[in-house]
Amino acid sequence: MLQLLRLIPLLAALALPAQAADISPEDYGFPLDNPFEATIASTPLELRASVPLDDDIDQRDYSLRLRPDREFSLPDNFWPVKRLGYRLARQDGPAPLVFVISGTGAHYSAAKTESLKRLFYSAGYHVVQLSSPTSYDFMAAASRYATPGYSRDDAQDLYRVMQAVRAQQHKLPVTDFYLVGYSLGALNAAFVSELDEARQSFNFKRVLLINPPVNLYTSISNLDRLVQTQVKGVDDNTTFYEMIFEKLTRYYHRKGFIDLSDALLYDFQQSPQRLSDEQMAMLIGSVFRLSAADITFTSDLINRRGLITPPDYPINEGTSLEPFFRRAMQCNFDCYITEQLIPMWRAQYDGGSLTQLIDQVSLYALEDYLRRSSKIAVMHNADDLILGPGDIGFLRRTFGERLTLYPRGGHCGNLDYRVNARHMLEFFRG
Amino acid sequence: MARFLSLLPLLLAAGTLDAHARPADEDGFTRPLDTLRFNPGLDQREFERATFHALAVQDPFESFNRRMYHFNYRLDQWVMLPAVRGYQYVTPRFVRTGVSNFFSNLGEIPTLANSVLQLKGKRAMNATARLLFNTIIGVGGVWDPATRMGLVRQSEDFGQTLGRWGVPRGPYLVLPALGPSNLRDATGLAVDFGIERQVDYLDYAQASGGEPGITALRLVDTRYTTDFRYGQLNSPFEYEQVRYVYSRARDLQVDE
Repeated sequence: MLQLLRLIPLLAALALPAQAADISPEDYGFPLDNPFEATIASTPLELRASVPLDDDIDQRDYSLRLRPDREFSLPDNFWPVKRLGYRLARQDGPAPLVFVISGTGAHYSAAKTESLKRLFYSAGYHVVQLSSPTSYDFMAAASRYATPGYSRDDAQDLYRVMQAVRAQQHKLPVTDFYLVGYSLGALNAAFVSELDEARQSFNFKRVLLINPPVNLYTSISNLDRLVQTQVKGVDDNTTFYEMIFEKLTRYYHRKGFIDLSDALLYDFQQSPQRLSDEQMAMLIGSVFRLSAADITFTSDLINRRGLITPPDYPINEGTSLEPFFRRAMQCNFDCYITEQLIPMWRAQYDGGSLTQLIDQVSLYALEDYLRRSSKIAVMHNADDLILGPGDIGFLRRTFGERLTLYPRGGHCGNLDYRVNARHMLEFFRG
Repeated sequence: MARFLSLLPLLLAAGTLDAHARPADEDGFTRPLDTLRFNPGLDQREFERATFHALAVQDPFESFNRRMYHFNYRLDQWVMLPAVRGYQYVTPRFVRTGVSNFFSNLGEIPTLANSVLQLKGKRAMNATARLLFNTIIGVGGVWDPATRMGLVRQSEDFGQTLGRWGVPRGPYLVLPALGPSNLRDATGLAVDFGIERQVDYLDYAQASGGEPGITALRLVDTRYTTDFRYGQLNSPFEYEQVRYVYSRARDLQVDE
């Protein structure tokens, strides 16, 4: 009888309509149950979806001239980012086209954008890879206010870029348009999709959000907090980076030779030098802090705000940027929002408090749209570092069965796992 | 009742599943950050300290180096990468792999010399064995049977030899076309080049002396096999980041 009572929650759950597709760890089979390890190492090679080699992909990099004024107003050492680059992989004949939006600070050629490209290309799609609106090149070459974080502005910038890509590639035979983004790029994709309902340039057939932040402020607070973990092995003589290199040195001594293969990280985590959760968190946090420094420096310089670089400071290709790097590096995401994003938002849009900003830039702002748009789906992980309590509840309520929740993967660590790859393709096929 | 009984194994299995899974809240969220030990004041400055420290690479010629970095960036975009694309267009992959193997096989000569100079017997034997197998069975190095036999390529250069005997890195240098280096490694590069000329393995030095096409092919192959792309770090501080990682990675190679 007791056993029967245990069935009640199960039956109750079955009775609820449109439940999210939750997958148990055993059915899922993704081997890394540590979210920090998954985030850093991503999927073991042998479990990744099989995709074509780069040599077999017909792809090229192109560039767009979107902000000619910046060619004069930006210092000389910005020459590589005065035009916006993007990558196009083309099929031989007519095919659907997927736009891929990269995550925080990421270039269009970032590893995760590349692996999504390989996957969709192998399934017969043309693929256009775009840099994140928070990335150095996008801010300089494509962004109107160069102060990323205000999601509607970022979506408009992205939309203009996508239209310019379409115009430049007007001979490419495209049957339908699809949109996918990961991490911050997924939040961007949601706003772009909403914008497209009004503008109708693409009429996306399907839009896929992979590991989006739900509350943007929760996500950046989590990331800022990662560099506050208690790490062992750091003292007056050894900084955190030095400690990592020392561990690597000892590891290679044992191994006998240096090997930089993809398997390195798994093997390393099996060795006595393995990193603790706190150390891995610090490493992930450091990477994001470097992105925050790039955003802080670039946004300040383009808008001549004088917080990091004095407005008339002469900069040429030989100028040392170290003093500005030192200053920008001390500004985390929270500092960037307080010092640059909020003042810009207040000046441009008569904005109010931080709470209002959060509501406007997070997924909450699109709740109604997301609830009724059956063409949009989310894939997320139960152990993603950028989420806070309640975020998955919001996704369940808003997306219903269009949410696929994986039990493992950390932040985007399972993006190229076979099962995820299959689900992505199935969703696009409809 | 019988139907319910058939559910029992399922329920028992579900019980064991839970034992493996990380505890989740009512939404199914496992709250990964809750397991971390944080600095109680959240005022730790270790990221800043470590990054400041990483900027302390000896770089007295910074202005020159930065200009050279931009020169190389343009050279790469306008000459090297287009050359690689043309090369990929006109050759099938097995030819390119053969070319890479061939030049890599030539590179075993400086590796062998430098392993001996560093008294690394095992590595010298590894290089010798690779050289013999790849040259004889691999037909002049075009195939790489040695790697399949488990002899991993482990390169050693004269910069590492100097480092091994205590020569410091010296000032950071960005070399024309070749990219990040320092005084020690640039010297090493010149010596390795000399070793290859002297040994004249497979008459390569002689042949390439009379035929600039071979040297050009080697340059294109080097670019083809190097993954690094300028702008890929996508940071206004790429120069600083490359400088630190290069310097630290070379230390790692020297120590190992």
